[in-house]
Amino acid sequence: MSQPLSPEREQRRAAIREALREVKNLPTLPGIISKLTKMVDDPDITTDQMGKLISKDHILAAKLLKLANSAFYGFPQRISSLSSAIILLGFNVIKILIISASIFELMEDQDVELWEHSLGCAVVCSVLAKHLEISDPEEVSTAGLIHDLGKVAIKMELPKESETITALVGSRGISRFTAEHELLGLDHAEVGGWLAKSWNLPVKLVEPIAWHHNPAGASSEPMAAAIVHFADIIIRGLGYGHGRDIWVPTLQSKAWELLRLRPTDLDKILENVEEKLWDVKGFSLEIKMEAGGVGSTSPGRG
Amino acid sequence: MQQISIAQATEGMILAKDVMTTDNRVLCGKATALSASIIERFKRMDITHVTVEDYPVAEKGAKSLKDELLAVEERFGSVRHIKPLMHLKKRIQKRLAAARQTTPPSSDRGEAT
Repeated sequence: MSQPLSPEREQRRAAIREALREVKNLPTLPGIISKLTKMVDDPDITTDQMGKLISKDHILAAKLLKLANSAFYGFPQRISSLSSAIILLGFNVIKILIISASIFELMEDQDVELWEHSLGCAVVCSVLAKHLEISDPEEVSTAGLIHDLGKVAIKMELPKESETITALVGSRGISRFTAEHELLGLDHAEVGGWLAKSWNLPVKLVEPIAWHHNPAGASSEPMAAAIVHFADIIIRGLGYGHGRDIWVPTLQSKAWELLRLRPTDLDKILENVEEKLWDVKGFSLEIKMEAGGVGSTSPGRG
Repeated sequence: MQQISIAQATEGMILAKDVMTTDNRVLCGKATALSASIIERFKRMDITHVTVEDYPVAEKGAKSLKDELLAVEERFGSVRHIKPLMHLKKRIQKRLAAARQTTPPSSDRGEAT
């Protein structure tokens, strides 16, 4: 018999779920996504028209190209324009990139350490996806990039609780995941899953986000969930944790079996990851420099 | 040998690999010493990374190897019972040690500790 939560805890959980559902403080995904989705179903739309729509949002377009050329997608060619990006990568990848670019912005503003952890996780996902020769490596990389979306949501919607969680992590030397369970009765994976679902993200993103701590729970995308689960472990092992939550999380044996990695594969994977992490460091620096106002193009206000 | 972002490149660093243009032509051969004008040109040409000799850019924290290995040990502290993760830990530690060994003992790098 499973142990039910106490009525108080259950009530609290429901209240938190409600608060997070409203996601008042969280930005919604740009309307461009739904416009693009409509466009792709229209056979008369050309890549040129699609490129024009995306380029209306300069910042998004620039971020998209930067992402397309970054280490965690690792497309073999350098992609220099939006229209070539659409031709070379195809609409689905573009859509994924736009989703990443938007969420990315949200994460980057919030928490640098979490952002670096996420970038690193995306790199490991991309290496693992290629090693395992799965069919949609971009989606898995993106799932890695936004797997901790729930942490951002908790921080924005429940800032006080989030601070208490940070304090618990520091004083007791426990993981954020454990602290979240103690304080809220739920965790960031669950919250991230709700949010991703409410944004109508594809299930290939929703499941790995929702189940990255318990990949056995993923019913349609167990492999993607297992990859993000193990990527989180590797990147934490390499020292990209989240603040004082430095811990390598536990490995679920079912996920490990699914991945079927041999001990000798690990060296090759680590080597590829290290090489790509250099690129990410560069990426991170470039963004910081731009944010620092080098050649800032924003017009002065009033 | 270290791959660095163009933002981290400074004068005097020596290229360890050819720098290629986006259409795969050699823009600048290896063993070239970087100058301010070369770095500027790379930026204009949209080159984002170069690979240079030695390890000129200190990594975050720049801890000693011993401290690094201990830090790895600590991070894996609560998963000691999971065999594949202990293997992962060993490989990470081994790679850390190996990376340090390839750094040639340079006499006049003049970097702060």
